[in-house]
Amino acid sequence: MILFTLCATLFVINALTIGGGYVMLPMLQEEFVMKHHWLTNQEFLDAIAMGQITPGPLTVMNAFIGYKIAGLSGALLAMASSYLPCIIIVTLVAKFYYSYKDSTIVSASFRGVKAAVIGLLAAVSITLGESSLIDPITVTIAVGSFAVIAFTKLEPTFVIVGAGIVGWLFC
Amino acid sequence: MNKASVRDIFFSFLKIGSFSFGGVYSMLSFFERELVEKKKWLSHEDFIEGVAIGQITPGPPIVNTGICIGYKLNRLKGAVAATLGQSFTGVAMAILLAMFYVGAEDDRILRCVMKGIGAAVVGLLVSIVCKMAAKTLRDYRSIGFALAAFIAMAYFKFNAIGIILGAGVLGYLVYKNWRQA
Repeated sequence: MILFTLCATLFVINALTIGGGYVMLPMLQEEFVMKHHWLTNQEFLDAIAMGQITPGPLTVMNAFIGYKIAGLSGALLAMASSYLPCIIIVTLVAKFYYSYKDSTIVSASFRGVKAAVIGLLAAVSITLGESSLIDPITVTIAVGSFAVIAFTKLEPTFVIVGAGIVGWLFC
Repeated sequence: MNKASVRDIFFSFLKIGSFSFGGVYSMLSFFERELVEKKKWLSHEDFIEGVAIGQITPGPPIVNTGICIGYKLNRLKGAVAATLGQSFTGVAMAILLAMFYVGAEDDRILRCVMKGIGAAVVGLLVSIVCKMAAKTLRDYRSIGFALAAFIAMAYFKFNAIGIILGAGVLGYLVYKNWRQA
């Protein structure tokens, strides 16, 4: 029963929230900490920290939450129910988009949308910059990683690993 | 539609999902370098479409971008392969961390490492934005759209989905009589 509620909760939250991992946090907290008392608040905060230190999307924190609640099967089911609505909805939207891409209404609207997305990402980089560029070292790292990706063929992996090492050296 | 095998998609996304530390925005630069520039499975245009679709669909936007790219490469199988690949390492690590439950947030060294990575992600994101802008903002109207979206988000704190819907409606009005390839 717990497993079912866990899956249903994650499925619904992922199917209904637009705007990303961080938008979901208050809802996850409400459900898991306040309503069902499956996690303490500290465990929930730890789950967020885990989501941040692991590579890839923040959503993998749901695997941590699922494990805490119901062990390995909880973790795997938590991830499956987080991603299932995304796969269904994105696949449908993508199918629709690629089928009607050449129609006037879709192609004209998307010209506006694609340009706007670039503006949005620029705004996101300012927000991220305000919170992570806090001293000369972090600014240098940011400029350096920009230069590496913009002017060389190196992979972002080197930038990420290098930045982690520099952060550690100047600890 | 370009086809890549399910296996290739899985392993490419596995690589992306294993090294993109520092939050989802670092994944964008991996997508771009690995899938657009190296593998040449996608054009820049396709990539930006994927980012746009990721933003307008519910769930985590960058995860959705990956799903959308996977779909473009090999339909539903590609979408599933991309999802599994991009989250495999993170999920495995999260489960291991849950098993051994180390109090990560108190670790000073880890905090320093993450601080360095967080700064790098800003640089990565800016370089992606520049590259996307150079490839797609080719006329005054699209530059106007990008600037307006930037200002609406950065200064007026509008939410992303509102901006995108607005851009869609305005895009239709502006571009409907002005089609070009």
